[in-house]
Amino acid sequence: MMRWLFTSLFFLLVWLWASWWMGDVMRIAYERSFIAADATLMHWLWQKSFGWLWILGRALLTLYRWPIVGGLFVAVMLTAGSWLIGVCLRLPQRWRWVRYLPSVCWMLWTAKEGLNLFYMNEPGRVLGVPFLVLVVLAMLAGIVGRLYQGGSAHRSGIENKQCSTSKVFTPSMIGRVGGESLLIFLCFSIPAFYLNYRHPYLRPLTKMQVQLLNDDYEGMSRTAHEHASIGCRQMAGYYAVALSRTGHLADQLFDIKLEFDSLHTYGFQGEPNECLNYHVIDCNFFAGLIRAARHYVVEDLTMSGPSLYNLKYMVKISLIEGDWALARKYLHVVRQAPFEGDFIEKYEPMVGHFDRVQADPELAAVIKVLPSYHTLEQMHVKPGFLGYYVDLKEFKTREALEWSTVACLYAKRMPSFLQRCRGYVGSMPPSSIAEGLLIKAYAEPSILQAFPQLELGISRYELFMQDAKPYLDDRERGGEVLFEKYKGYYPYYYLFGNMRSTRKPNDGEQEHNKAGVN
Amino acid sequence: MKSYVYLILSVIALTGCSPSATIPTSFTETSDSLAIYPDYRDVTIPPNIAPLNFMVTDAAATEYVVTVGDLVCGAGKDGKIDMDSVAWREVLTDAKGKSLSVNVYAHRASGWVHYSPFTLDVAEEEIDPYLSYRLIEPGYELYRQLGIYQRNLTNFTEEPIYENNRTFSNEDNHCINCHNYQAYDTDRMLFHVRAGHGGTIIVHGKEARKIGIKHDSILTSGVYPSWHPTMPLVAFSTNKTGQVFHMYHPEKIEVLDEASDLLLYDAEKNTVRHIFHTKDNMETFPCWAPDGSRLFYCCAKMPASLLGEHTPMDLALRYDSLLYDIYSMPFDAETCTFGEPRLEVDASGIGRSTSVPRVSPDGRYLLYTLGDYGQFHIWHKSSDLYVKALESAPLSGDSEVRPMTGTQEEGIRPLTAANSPDADSYHTWSSNGRWILFVSRRLDHNYSRVFISYFDREGRDHKAFLLPQRDPEYNTLLLKSYNVPELTKRAVQVNIETLKHVIYHTDPDPATYQP
Repeated sequence: MMRWLFTSLFFLLVWLWASWWMGDVMRIAYERSFIAADATLMHWLWQKSFGWLWILGRALLTLYRWPIVGGLFVAVMLTAGSWLIGVCLRLPQRWRWVRYLPSVCWMLWTAKEGLNLFYMNEPGRVLGVPFLVLVVLAMLAGIVGRLYQGGSAHRSGIENKQCSTSKVFTPSMIGRVGGESLLIFLCFSIPAFYLNYRHPYLRPLTKMQVQLLNDDYEGMSRTAHEHASIGCRQMAGYYAVALSRTGHLADQLFDIKLEFDSLHTYGFQGEPNECLNYHVIDCNFFAGLIRAARHYVVEDLTMSGPSLYNLKYMVKISLIEGDWALARKYLHVVRQAPFEGDFIEKYEPMVGHFDRVQADPELAAVIKVLPSYHTLEQMHVKPGFLGYYVDLKEFKTREALEWSTVACLYAKRMPSFLQRCRGYVGSMPPSSIAEGLLIKAYAEPSILQAFPQLELGISRYELFMQDAKPYLDDRERGGEVLFEKYKGYYPYYYLFGNMRSTRKPNDGEQEHNKAGVN
Repeated sequence: MKSYVYLILSVIALTGCSPSATIPTSFTETSDSLAIYPDYRDVTIPPNIAPLNFMVTDAAATEYVVTVGDLVCGAGKDGKIDMDSVAWREVLTDAKGKSLSVNVYAHRASGWVHYSPFTLDVAEEEIDPYLSYRLIEPGYELYRQLGIYQRNLTNFTEEPIYENNRTFSNEDNHCINCHNYQAYDTDRMLFHVRAGHGGTIIVHGKEARKIGIKHDSILTSGVYPSWHPTMPLVAFSTNKTGQVFHMYHPEKIEVLDEASDLLLYDAEKNTVRHIFHTKDNMETFPCWAPDGSRLFYCCAKMPASLLGEHTPMDLALRYDSLLYDIYSMPFDAETCTFGEPRLEVDASGIGRSTSVPRVSPDGRYLLYTLGDYGQFHIWHKSSDLYVKALESAPLSGDSEVRPMTGTQEEGIRPLTAANSPDADSYHTWSSNGRWILFVSRRLDHNYSRVFISYFDREGRDHKAFLLPQRDPEYNTLLLKSYNVPELTKRAVQVNIETLKHVIYHTDPDPATYQP
């Protein structure tokens, strides 16, 4: 009975870990993966070393279309694996906890990997490898079972004896039960703690991505606010997308920390990188820069192969461009993947009907901020945030002007920011823009003439500068001390936020240029 | 093991074709238009081509029967017609120089219906049996797994000639491009390796070696090649090429040269020299006449505003001002010298631009692409195939030159039947001059696919048809583009292991530059 109690406890905790704690991470891994029964589509993966294993792993990953189901599968797999290890090693009672170690190692590994579970790495690894181990264990258990068949009667006799005595709860047994339960609990808390320590951004970031998949922009903003002190460039991007859809881009963007500490990601050959392109496709797309989004989607398709993520973007971009034949092609490819009926059902009727494309809220919002003039991508600074909007100069809608103005604020490019502010003369600019103007108003009084309403904010600005003064030579400390009081206040971000000099790099990453801002 | 899996998948795929296909005895005629993919209606095909498998779409139908001459084939609900290769071959052999009627029957709830038949015209002339091409994602700057493959056109066999590294490795990553053969034979071929293990691979029979065409006087290295038809000489262009990406424009990518010259490489002596070394003119895409007596090439004059000091971005912003004409010049094989250039196609005169000149094997026609500007026409929707009747006497001697009436110039006309509204570009002739193969983005505006067009003795082009595949859906699901289709009379002789050894384990033998 005790054995089943521990097994059940282990099973439940793994399920909790795999579906709740890691559910969003694995859901995004599923989106960055692709599996189909078609040999043409899978050829690129099949031909790789261990291609069959990655295909198997991707097939299992499809269960994470619904994280609770995926988590259930992981729980079954790890519980069965632990039981099989016990069978293979024929562990005595006091060493029984050893059987949980491989599962804990796997959890620690997933915690260590973070975004590397799928970004620029094979997403089939995460479930393919443990499943292969499970199969090997099952075979070994079969062999061990046959080898020890002779002694099984003797053993089952002992076990029966243990079972019969186990019904009596002696103090030593209670201690053992408590110890093993504590051990199992630690098995989960250590990887969870390690995950939050190494990748504090991982769960909120992937949660925001899942919310984006569900068009839950309010939820994205909430998630960002709940983790305001974590902040990273990628979260900033997704947060900006959410704010743009809820109409708060220019008054709430600086409510969260927008640092860009290392995410501990590595490239295709294990070299540390800055994870720069992780969010760029989403940001470019929602900023209306669909050609730039297409550029990065195609590069992703080339380097990582087809994934639901890049294929779905190709569908959406083709629809916005009215490229029906291409949209039809990518829809057909997505159709080959299991469980994507909803996506097909939503977008297929739009093919050939631009009025339906324009009627879709998400696509309509993108169409509204499409560029208004011809330009070459190479003429712009590479995007680290809202696409190329820091460089664009002409806007056909108010929304596009706002994207660009806020992008300049984010990049602290004040001359460009001031140019764009001309579009706000005669009206009350949103709060972040007004605060940005205030910084420059001291040096250029004409700004106050153009925006007389800024005078209302002068006293707060002067108070902030008094508070900031002691920390001007120690920006890192200033950033920490003043964050709670001044989060959301642009002058705080301008002086203390998002600075290269305070950035925490990845292990082995090349030393950054300490000058300037992001 | 992988072969077995493919075998099983193939068997599964084959089950789409009903084994018990018989022509329905009772059916009604339907006036519905027949929807088939690829569109093989009313095309002219070589008598040795692989089965033209296609897919019928009829939402109301549950099964299909198709007849092509005496060949009867069935399909299930997916409508995929997979014809028996042996029966197809017999049908085509019997129909040489004649027409075949293709009948499609669809089984609907109300019974069998019969669509209006279409025809396949079977030409007398065969097509060269081997087609090689590169398969690569139509990407922007990055590349990963790619290869040069060889397809047997008489069946569906595709084999790699060479594939780059399958596993990402900063040390081993390399790109391969510009494969080229001497006079449709595989005895001499070449291709380039870029980035890791870089060099130009020169193949002679079953042997291969790596050479390096680099020198202070040479812009970059050898780029677009053309083997002399009989001598061990290769004309290369050397190009300083860049790319820019449109943010808001009907086109997506511009590939443009900042500078380019022509080189002559001697494969036996391993020497290289300039044919043209000019600053104001940009020469590219060399192509020998079939008898080796002339060299054709494209040339653009640098816009006057860019003749002085300028940055690459200055040129990029004037991407649409580069207009290429086609020239030719005589070649003296005895002295290995060139004569005076002659303007063959004055495209800039009408504000347009040419690319990829290719002379027909009988020397009668010059085939090229014409677009609005630039030379990398595969990214230009305006790009179409054109032919010019050459003034030289026909090499085959079997018919006289008939100057064609053209839109721009006497003797020039577009291949109206073969062209499409989308990019139609890189092209090649069959060795008998009756078939033109080219790549086109007409199917989905993004992925280039190989099309085949019959070019008859009167110089008329015929409707182009898609390179047949066993699975008609193959081109929809393939996420790579076909580049540089080149026909050969026989299979490549050098094996992939030899090429791998040369590429990975030998250093390039530097060609001696001759000023």
